[in-house]
Amino acid sequence: MQNWRRRARVDSGKNTVQTPLHRPVNRISIPSSARWIACVFGLCVFAGCGSSNEPSSREGREGTDPARLVVTGSSTIAPLISDVARRYEQEHPGVRIDVQTGGSSRGLTDARRGLADVGMVSRSPREGEDDVAWIPIALDGLAIIVHADSPVNVLSEEQVVAIYRGEIETWRDVGGEDAPITVVTKADGRSTLEVFLDHFGLTAQEIRADVVIGDNQQAIKTVVGNPDAIAYVSIGTAEYEAMQGAPLRLLRLGDFEPSTDAVRAGSYPVARTLHVVAKGESAPVVSEFLDFLLSPAVHDLVESHFFVPLDGPTPDGPAG
Amino acid sequence: MSGRVRAGAFGPAQLGNGRNDRLLAVAAWTVPVLVGGVFGWLLFDLLRHGLGGLSWTFLTTAPEAAGRAGGIGPVLFSTLLILAVCLLAAVPVGMLTAVLLSGVVGRPPSQMRSTFLRSVRRSLDVLAGVPSIVFGLFGNAFFSIVLGMGFSILSGGLTLACMVLPIFIREAEEALRQVPAELRLSAAALGLSRTKTLTSILLPAALPGITVGLVLGIGRALAETAALIFTSGYVDRMPGSLLDSGRSLSIHIYDLSMNVAGGEPNAYATALVLVGLLLVINSAAASLSARWHRRG
Repeated sequence: MQNWRRRARVDSGKNTVQTPLHRPVNRISIPSSARWIACVFGLCVFAGCGSSNEPSSREGREGTDPARLVVTGSSTIAPLISDVARRYEQEHPGVRIDVQTGGSSRGLTDARRGLADVGMVSRSPREGEDDVAWIPIALDGLAIIVHADSPVNVLSEEQVVAIYRGEIETWRDVGGEDAPITVVTKADGRSTLEVFLDHFGLTAQEIRADVVIGDNQQAIKTVVGNPDAIAYVSIGTAEYEAMQGAPLRLLRLGDFEPSTDAVRAGSYPVARTLHVVAKGESAPVVSEFLDFLLSPAVHDLVESHFFVPLDGPTPDGPAG
Repeated sequence: MSGRVRAGAFGPAQLGNGRNDRLLAVAAWTVPVLVGGVFGWLLFDLLRHGLGGLSWTFLTTAPEAAGRAGGIGPVLFSTLLILAVCLLAAVPVGMLTAVLLSGVVGRPPSQMRSTFLRSVRRSLDVLAGVPSIVFGLFGNAFFSIVLGMGFSILSGGLTLACMVLPIFIREAEEALRQVPAELRLSAAALGLSRTKTLTSILLPAALPGITVGLVLGIGRALAETAALIFTSGYVDRMPGSLLDSGRSLSIHIYDLSMNVAGGEPNAYATALVLVGLLLVINSAAASLSARWHRRG
């Protein structure tokens, strides 16, 4: 009672023209809304300022603030590096490693621009990319896979090329049943695609694909769900899934049996080297982490992600 | 001709057409059953694969071996933080915009102001249809780089706020508009100030509709991966502050099912947690709104 009376009095004192519904904008409401907006934006700006130091390695500043390393890039390597980073953090409490994904190209760009200390790139360096140091961390073979129900066990390189070019369209032409082949390929920008194209001497435009996919597991899911599909994936992953009972088969490629052992021995031809890249002169924290990444102490982690560890730190990149 | 067709379709001559009515009835029953069936199947599939992995330890411990082992504690916590930042930013801004757009407070808009309001409304409609990856790239460029927040929960939450705002504003505006004019007139007759009218009469009356907007917004925010992968990031460590990178549940599910061989069981369990979280938040919002509504 008292309340509205008082409020009404205050209002009538403030506003000169009083029509019941459409009075001039009430003075109480504007400052309060402005306060709200100010609060929210103030919070944002304040928070923004607090973090404006750039996300690159800050070596153990005063007090408890840990050195922070930012790693970005290939989604294939990211889970592995996350695991390695966790182990490294446990052994070096003063260091924090943030792993982000976004693809190989992003890893390379971020490392170049200094947005990341280390970039993850799941292919080998091309010409003109020697402005950063390329450090090989593991090997990964590509296997051609089909559904386990398919009678096909082996394809020659020429047959694979013909299938992906759309020249062979049914399984009957390569020793299978009379069913159309569902060609699965990876999307542009994926390193797996580039490795595949490089090895078979194809270009992305030549491929006549029925299904275009993004990530590794997607290839496996597509083949498992479609008895007529053919795809290419990381050998380690395919071996693991097959061992877990997923109905898929790794095809022999001519004379080459796809297996992680063959990749390790260097006898399987379709393989890629997973790399990390870093600017030439990186901070001591970064090089220490890279040393750890190349040491045998992480081989079990590399294997647990179905890659093949490299024996020693022997960089093969142009600037390595 | 067209006149006759229109009369035939809507006129009394059609009233006795039993076959069409039956067809319509069958369709009207089949479709909801199918829709419900899809949801039921989805839920069943999730429960079948995910229930086994679910436990208190799963909810509280950190992921190990890239998520194949261990739990989702830090991921769950990051998700809640991202959601909180999102709502803290989106709700006040959204409410104010909705009040302005609905025109329930203040003078009838002048020519210039109504043009302005129309363009605001149009741009909100466009924003509501923008794919989330675009918000992600914007958030990365603006919050992470220009404002220097880096990969952080804050920048992820604010990006989500931008994404949720259009939906929330539209729902809140609609709810405010549907408050009967008599309530406003009575408030004015009692001499209540506009602030008082808004906070004590309009907002409580519009609360159920606003809650719907909020729930839709939360749903969109929780489901988001594309907008978050470049803003709040991929780090699955327990965040120490809002400026740390933190992985959301949806990104965790995506990564486990797409990039990590053998991540499937935990992906299912995490998906189950996400659906559960969504249900809990939605029913909490609904019951809170009902309680406030009664009290208001």
